[in-house]
Amino acid sequence: MGRRKWILVSVGLPALVALWWAFRPEKLWINEKVNEPAPFDTSGGPQPILTGRFEGKTQQTSGRATIYKKPGGEEYLRLSDFTTSNSGDVHVVLARSDDQNLAQDVGKDDRIDLGPLKSNQGDQNYDLPAAAVTDLNKYDAVAIYCERLHAVFGLAKLQPF
Amino acid sequence: MFRTIQIAGGLAMLTCVTGFGQEKAQPLETGAFHGKVHHTSGRATIYKESDGRLLLRLTKFKTSNGPDVHVVLIAAKDADDDANFLKSSTEKLEIGPLKGNEGDQNYEIPAGTDLKKFQTVSIYCERFNANFGAAPLEKF
Repeated sequence: MGRRKWILVSVGLPALVALWWAFRPEKLWINEKVNEPAPFDTSGGPQPILTGRFEGKTQQTSGRATIYKKPGGEEYLRLSDFTTSNSGDVHVVLARSDDQNLAQDVGKDDRIDLGPLKSNQGDQNYDLPAAAVTDLNKYDAVAIYCERLHAVFGLAKLQPF
Repeated sequence: MFRTIQIAGGLAMLTCVTGFGQEKAQPLETGAFHGKVHHTSGRATIYKESDGRLLLRLTKFKTSNGPDVHVVLIAAKDADDDANFLKSSTEKLEIGPLKGNEGDQNYEIPAGTDLKKFQTVSIYCERFNANFGAAPLEKF
């Protein structure tokens, strides 16, 4: 009886230790938090807060849309590395990525117009109206929208930077 | 003469506006983490520092805590949740052990790393050869 108990302990205990080492189950409950600062200067200039890549919808569109916040609190949209097809009456609009109709059209009430597209190629900036500042949770996508054809050329869903 | 001054002025302004100052790190590539099996979220961004060194920074980062978890770059456009890199023989480059499963953190990328080849950041559990989460990097 004593011998059997000894065998059980001598086999079972190392097995338990090995299992613990392999799976470390306590890590399911314990979080290791870190908070390293950026090792470079992030003060002063505008900071990116949201970003996303364009996907072509009805027209080939590529590049990146990034929303920056200036130190004063104003926000602006910057398109970089950007290309879409050239056409008349194309606008840059903020839209809702959960908008079911987005593939076909963007309703007037479902978008915030940032102005006519300055160029179908190249880096460009657009100021965000103050009202939109509070609405970026709702308007979480940038659409290149052709008013004339009622077509979304391209869409960039924004995610936190 | 006037034209030269104009061009120089324009260039100086452009430098100001675009923020291509020498002293600041520039983001080169960025991507959001996805990972459903191990709930991984946040962002990975590769910066080029003013001295040319490459830096990987994880922000708003969260993954599950586990044994022997590493940050690696993999030679693929993206990785499936729970991808098995040994089985798929995807080439991977060790960046370092994960410093924490939550929060902002920085990692140095070895000099000479080909970012055209290594396009995805993976949170990789060495012990179980499991991909906890991946962030496909795209040009910033």
